[in-house]
Amino acid sequence: MDNSYVPIRMRVEKIAVEDPERNLRTYDLAFEDEDAGKRFNYLPGQFCEMSILGKGESPFGIASSPSEGDLLKFTVNRAGSVTGEIHYLREGDAVGIRGPLGNWYPVEKLKGMNVLIIGGGFAFTTLRSLLVYLLGSRGDYGDINVIYGARNPDLFIYKNEIEEWRTREDMELHLTIDSPVDGWSGMTGFVPSVTGELAPGQENTMAIVCGPPIMIKFTLPVLTELGFPDERIYTSLERRMKCGIGKCGRCNIGSRYVCIDGPVFSLAQLRNIPEAF
Amino acid sequence: MYRLDKGRFDEFIRLLGREYRTYAPVRTAGRTGFAIVDSAGMIDTDVLVTDMSPKEIFFPPSETLFRYGRNGIKTDEVPERPIAVWGIRSCDVRSLSMLDRVFGSAVQMPEDDRFKDPYWNHRYGSSLLFGSACIDPSPTCFCNWFGGGPFNKDGMDVFTVDAGEYYLLEPVSGKGQEFIGGLACLAPAGESELDLVSAIAAEAASRMPEEEDLKEAGRKLSDIFDEPVWSELSAKCVNCGACTFCCPTCHCFDIQDESQGSEGRRVRIWDSCMFPIFTREASGHNPRALSKERVRQRIMHKYSYSLENYGEFLCTGCGRCVLVCPVNLDIRDVLRRLLHYRAEGKCNG
Repeated sequence: MDNSYVPIRMRVEKIAVEDPERNLRTYDLAFEDEDAGKRFNYLPGQFCEMSILGKGESPFGIASSPSEGDLLKFTVNRAGSVTGEIHYLREGDAVGIRGPLGNWYPVEKLKGMNVLIIGGGFAFTTLRSLLVYLLGSRGDYGDINVIYGARNPDLFIYKNEIEEWRTREDMELHLTIDSPVDGWSGMTGFVPSVTGELAPGQENTMAIVCGPPIMIKFTLPVLTELGFPDERIYTSLERRMKCGIGKCGRCNIGSRYVCIDGPVFSLAQLRNIPEAF
Repeated sequence: MYRLDKGRFDEFIRLLGREYRTYAPVRTAGRTGFAIVDSAGMIDTDVLVTDMSPKEIFFPPSETLFRYGRNGIKTDEVPERPIAVWGIRSCDVRSLSMLDRVFGSAVQMPEDDRFKDPYWNHRYGSSLLFGSACIDPSPTCFCNWFGGGPFNKDGMDVFTVDAGEYYLLEPVSGKGQEFIGGLACLAPAGESELDLVSAIAAEAASRMPEEEDLKEAGRKLSDIFDEPVWSELSAKCVNCGACTFCCPTCHCFDIQDESQGSEGRRVRIWDSCMFPIFTREASGHNPRALSKERVRQRIMHKYSYSLENYGEFLCTGCGRCVLVCPVNLDIRDVLRRLLHYRAEGKCNG
């Protein structure tokens, strides 16, 4: 019988420090067991429980795209005890993961549509996965428009890739920071108001939003005002998922469990769930 | 129906013990719960509802998921003998069926084996349950609100009635029939014994409280989710979590690591939705920071969300939470209050 509580053994292949204060690090993990890697089929938006034996587990969105190859990418903000331990890891160390868990962004529905991606802070992880996935078969989708906000320029993650995305002609990228900083050439202002200013068209467009709860809460009404119907607004929610398989009882929002019914929900679904925001 | 004379009860328990790890109500330091027994003398045959529910047999308060060390991860060996339970009440048998829908059959994701809980299934899947008729229901019993009753046999393998000088045993499942079918310590029951059971059953049924109509409970509770009544109801709750630990259907848990040097084990331990830390995220954000939100969560989970997810209430009316609550928050009063609540200015009575 399958045992979903036992982690898959991974090796830390590469670590990238994302910010000057060294609170955000990105880990590329390799499967120690090739077969386990082959069985691990995922899509953008899913998450894993990352596990340090002796210290515990925490949930993280998968930042890599299945189109990129066999390494799994996670970006970890140092916040609590497990994330603190993850930050002690070095290249070559062992780490466990359980997953892939949860559902995914509606990649099938996105085919033939324009995609508006809106992200904030270090929650850009699964949005990176989605963006890389879409760019990997670019011809299948219409316009790709990305709005990405951070408190200040240092706090954008995947800076090298941002440079590359900026120069691409087959997508648009709008970066915004909370308040003006010398030498900043992007936009200034919070994600919801910047979204309102840019006023992206809703025609044949799917909006995918992920970020801190407060950003999501204020961005969704802006999209509604821009004419996006509830069925074409998707967001990914965060709760303290533990078991990841709908049993431990802590990640529910109303009757839905974020770990198995989510983390991706359409606004149409969320309208029927109490206390979603 | 078979008759088991009490003089041969010990022989029966020992026979059962040859094939099964047998659990039964046991009194330790004034408190009752289910423990392994190897003789009839260890069993508290008088207790109606044990202080601790039998969920701990199948879902222990602390359970090793696996051990880890320098040589990697190892899961524990499966225990050799299946589990039998003697003296389990119908409400508690039903609670196990409910928990099986969460852990074992995983009704939310029935086709996907990854969602079936192997630890639960090892224990519950091969268990043999000897349910006990409740001949003297207590004032805190309200199983009849949920379709239960003192002589309800749902989920049992063998139904038993304490008839004074002897027990009457009725096989309910094929597994139950197979075990008791050929036992020499049992004799077929006669007409007079069956009449006696009917008389006891009628007497027990007459002691049950008036039923509350819960047909609309799921919808009603959703409708009043944002009403101020939840603040009033939760005002005296001290969030101690006692109700969740004695509850036979509460199944929230945490997963933690216990290490000594480089060796250790990952354990699953009972947790409670009554504790603020239960949902607090590393960022500090807490979706259920207020006591009101946590009390509401517990009620909604049991009487509304569960209907949607598992097709039944996550409550059996065993009354344990009524008995242990240190501030006398009586779930029956809470439910009545909510079901009859009329929002101000609305007519949704």
